[in-house]
Amino acid sequence: MTPVPSFPLFTRLYRFFSGRRLTLYAATALLIALGGAALRNIELREDIESMLPDDTSDVARDFRLLQSAPFTRKIVITLTGGPRTEPAELLATADRLAKALPSPDIVSVATGPADPGGGFLPALARSLPGLVTPGDMTTLEAWSEEGNVGSRLRDSYEKLLSPEGWALKGAVRADPLSFHTLALEKMGTLNLIPNMRLLEGHFVSADRKSALVIADTPVPITDSKGAGRLLDHIARQTAASVPPGIKASLVCGHRYALANAEGIRRDLYVILSLASLAVLSIYLFYLRSLSAICVFLVPGAALVIASGVIATVSKNVFAITLGFGGVLLGIADEYAMHVYFSCRKGGDRLAEVIGEISRPVLFGGMATLASFAVMLVSSLPGQRQLAVYTMTGILASLVLSLVVLPHVIRPARVPGPPAQAAAGLRLPPPRRWVVAVWLLLLAACLWQSTKIRFNGDLRSLSLVPPELREAERELSETWGDVRGKAILFSGGKDLDDALAANDRLFRLLSGRIPEGQIVSLAPILPSRETQIASLRRWSEFWRGGRAARLAASLQREGNSLGFSGNAFAPFLASLEEAPDVRTADDLRAEGLGEMIDSLILRAPGSVQVMTLVPDTPEGIAALARDLGSLPGVRLVSPSRFGDNLGMTIRKDFTSYLLLTSLMVLALVVSAFRRPKKILLALVPVVTGLTAMLGIMGMLGIDFNQFNIVATILIIGLCVDYGIFMVCKVTEGSDHDADRAILVSGLTTLAGFGSLVLARHPAMHSIGLTVLLGIGFGITAALLVVPALHGRGSA
Amino acid sequence: MRRILGTVLALALAVAGPAFPAPAPGDPEPAGAPASLLRRLELAASGVSTLASDFVQEKHLGIFKTVVTSRGRFHYQKPDRLRWELREPFASGFALSGSRGRRWHQRTGRTESFDIRQDPIMKAVSDQIFAWANADFAGLGREYRIRILSENPVSLRLEPLSAAMAASLDHLRITFSPDGRFVRAVEFHEKDGDFTRIRFVDTVVNPPLGPDLFR
Repeated sequence: MTPVPSFPLFTRLYRFFSGRRLTLYAATALLIALGGAALRNIELREDIESMLPDDTSDVARDFRLLQSAPFTRKIVITLTGGPRTEPAELLATADRLAKALPSPDIVSVATGPADPGGGFLPALARSLPGLVTPGDMTTLEAWSEEGNVGSRLRDSYEKLLSPEGWALKGAVRADPLSFHTLALEKMGTLNLIPNMRLLEGHFVSADRKSALVIADTPVPITDSKGAGRLLDHIARQTAASVPPGIKASLVCGHRYALANAEGIRRDLYVILSLASLAVLSIYLFYLRSLSAICVFLVPGAALVIASGVIATVSKNVFAITLGFGGVLLGIADEYAMHVYFSCRKGGDRLAEVIGEISRPVLFGGMATLASFAVMLVSSLPGQRQLAVYTMTGILASLVLSLVVLPHVIRPARVPGPPAQAAAGLRLPPPRRWVVAVWLLLLAACLWQSTKIRFNGDLRSLSLVPPELREAERELSETWGDVRGKAILFSGGKDLDDALAANDRLFRLLSGRIPEGQIVSLAPILPSRETQIASLRRWSEFWRGGRAARLAASLQREGNSLGFSGNAFAPFLASLEEAPDVRTADDLRAEGLGEMIDSLILRAPGSVQVMTLVPDTPEGIAALARDLGSLPGVRLVSPSRFGDNLGMTIRKDFTSYLLLTSLMVLALVVSAFRRPKKILLALVPVVTGLTAMLGIMGMLGIDFNQFNIVATILIIGLCVDYGIFMVCKVTEGSDHDADRAILVSGLTTLAGFGSLVLARHPAMHSIGLTVLLGIGFGITAALLVVPALHGRGSA
Repeated sequence: MRRILGTVLALALAVAGPAFPAPAPGDPEPAGAPASLLRRLELAASGVSTLASDFVQEKHLGIFKTVVTSRGRFHYQKPDRLRWELREPFASGFALSGSRGRRWHQRTGRTESFDIRQDPIMKAVSDQIFAWANADFAGLGREYRIRILSENPVSLRLEPLSAAMAASLDHLRITFSPDGRFVRAVEFHEKDGDFTRIRFVDTVVNPPLGPDLFR
C-alpha cells in the first residue's frame, strides 16, 4: 500500500505537546485573552467610505467631490398643509420648527432667504460693468438710444412718485435707466430649487401648500450613530412643533445611513439567530460528541484573535470588517472539522493521522489565504482591512486546528460508520449521469454568465424604506427635480483660477443647455480676467462720445420731467470711472455670501467652483465628449458615477479573479503535480463560480461590490473542497474528507446562505452568491470529483 | 423681474443661514412717548372702520428742480383693505384686499396682480400705511423710537431702530387730526435733508365703501 503523503512537522508537534498539554492550553488561552484585551479600546467606524475607493482613481475623486459639495449635507424638511390649512399657519409652523431645531447637531436653520439688505439694487448696478457680455452691450446700446432714454427715465420718475418710490431716490440717481435689471437677470442662474417661491420671506412651493425648512448639520452623512441622534432630535422637535393637519416630511442623507444601519442590525439579529440554530442542529446531528464543542470553539477563538490583531494594527476599524469578517470566519470551522473527523478515526495512530491530514488542510488553508490576499491590493479600504482580518483569522484557525485541537479530541472507541453512509450518500449516483448533468449545467451556466451586468450604483445596495421613498417622491413633486443634477467642478489653484475655468465652462454650456437649466456662478462672479475684459468692453462702449450723448439725453429728458441738472451725477460719474474688479468678498458684503459660498468648495491648495446641469444620460454623454477641450473641469453625474463604479468593480473583479486563479493554480500544481489531480481539484471551484455567474446572469441579478468578496470566499472554500476530495480519492487517504466537506459546507450554507433571507440588498446579494457558489461547489466536490476520477474513487 | 428678484433672494436656499428673526420681545412700550397719549390715539383710531381721503404728496428732493407735487385718493377699510390711487401728474395706483392686490398704470396700460407675501416692497409699503391708519403703536414701536413733538394736535417723530433703515431714513414725522382719529400728514426725512410730505385732505371718517374699490 502506498503511504499517504504527510507533513511530519505536525506529527512531531503533536508528540512534542503531548507531554506539555497544560503549557499548550495556557499559551492558547493567553493568546485568546490578549486578543480580547486588545478589543477593549476598539473604535468602530460605521461609514460607507470603507466600501469606496480611497486611491487616486476617477471614482474615488468623484465620490470625494460629491461628498464635499455643501448642499449634499443639508437636511430638508417639507411641511405640507391640508386642504384647510391657511398659509399663515404653515409659515408659523415653519418658524416654530426652525426655532426649536437648533442644537449641537444642528448649527443653522433657514425658512427663508437671508436679508440682502437695502443696498442690494445699487450694489447690483455697480457690479454691472464687470459682468457685461457682448450681448448685454447690444441691449445697453438700445436702452441708451435717444427714444428709449425718455421712456426709461419716465419709468424711474413715476416709481419715485409711487409709494414704492419712498426709498428709491439713491437707486434712481445711481441708475436712472434701470441698467441693474441686466445684472438681476443674471442672478437667475443661481436658483437651485426649480419650484421654489417666496411667501412672506419664507421658502414655499409654487402652489403655496408646502413650506421648506433647511438645516445645516456638522454630523457627517456616513456617521450612522450621529445620524440616529440627529434624527431623534428632529423627530422630537417636529412632533412638538408641527400641529395635526400639517405633514412634515424629511429628506437627508442621514436618513439613508440610519435606515441601512438599522436594516443590517435587524437582518443580522434574525438571520444570526436562525443560522446559529441551524448550525447547532447540524453539529448535533453529525458530530454527536462532547469534544465536538471544541470544533465549534475554533472559529470563535480565531475570531477573537483576528479582531485583537486588527484592533492593534489598524487605526480605524470598519464595523463592516468585523461584521462581515466575523461571518466570514465562520467558515474557518472546516479545518477543525477535517481534523476532528480524522482524529476521531485515528485510534492509536493519532500522531501520524495529524501529519497526513495536515497536508490537505494546509493546502486548503493556503488556497483560502491566497484568495483573500488578492484583496490586499484593493482600492477599497474596507476590502483591504477585510483581507488582513480574514487572513489572520484563517491562520489562527489553521494553527488551532492542527496544533491544539488534536489534543482535546478523544478518538472514538468504536470505528464510525462508513463515511458516505454517515453523510447520507449510501449509493453514489451513476457516474455517467453525474458527469453528463454536470457538463450540461456548466455549458448552460457558461452561456448565461455572459449576460451578467456589473452595477456600481451604490443606491441599489442601499436599503430605502417605503416611507423614505415616498418622502423622496414628494420632495421631487413639490420642489422639482432638485436631486437629478450633475455637478461640474471647475478647479484651480485658487478661487480666481477656478472661476476662470468656470467661465470657460459656462460659455460652453450656454450654447448647449437651455437657459434656466444651468445653475452657475459665472454670470454673477466671473474671473478677474473675464471681468477685466467686460470692464474694457464697458469703458470702450462709453468712449467716443457715447457717454456724453447719453448725458445730454438724460439732461434733456430729465429737464422735461423736472429733474435737477446734477440729479444723475453719480450715474454719469460711474460711466467715466474705471470700476474695480469685484471679488467674492464684495458680493459677501452685499449679502450674497451664503448664495455664492454654496457653490464654492475649498481645500488646501485648491478651489473648486460648482455648476449644476440636468443629469440626463444623453445630455451628459454629449457634455462629457465636449469637456475634453476644457482643462480643469470635471463632470460628476450620479448616473455616470454609478457607471464608473461599475467599471471599477468589473476591473477589480477581473484582476482578482485572474490573480486568485493564478495563485490557487500554483498551489494546486505544487500540491498535486499531476494534470489529472490538478484538474480534479479545480472542479468544485470552476463549478461553483460558473453556476453562480450563470444563474445570476439568467435571473438578471446584477453583480456588485459585495459579490466580489463573496466570490473570493467561494474560490477559497471550493478549492479546499477540491483539495480534500482529491487527497481522499487519489491518495488513499481514509479520512472522512467528504463528511467534513458536507458538514462544514452545510454550516457555511446555514450561516452565509441564510443571508439570502435578508431585506438589505447588499446582504441579500452576498447570501445569494454564496448559496449558489458553495451549494454547487459542495455538490461538485462530493459527486463530480469521484465520478470523474472513476475507479479510484472511495 | 419681480419673480427673478424673489427667486434670487431665495437663492441662499440650501445655504441660507438663519433667516428668522430673533424672538420678539413681546410688544415693547414705545420708547420716549408717554403710553397714555399713544393709548388715547389707539382708542380714537379704534372707532374708525373706514377712511376716504384725498392726498397731496410733495417731494422736496434735491434731484428735482422744484418741489414735485402729486395728488391722489386714498381709501382704507379695517382691517386689511387699502386703495392708493395717484391721479396727477399721471394715473397709477394699487388696491389691496388681504394679502392679494392689483396695481395699474395708465400710461403703460399695464395691470398686474400681486401678493404682498411674495412682494417685500409692497408689503413694507402697506404695513406702514396700515400702521398709521390703525394707530398701531405696538408695531411701530418695534421699528421706531417714538417721540412726541406736540400734543395738540398730536405730532410724533419716529426714528428708525435698525441700522439698515437708518442708513437712508433719518426720521418720520406723523401728525394726527385734532381728534386723533386719523393721520393728517406724514413726512419722510432723509439723511441728506430731503423729505417727502403727504398731506391727507378732505378726510371722511367711516364712509360707506364698496368692496369693488379694493379689487
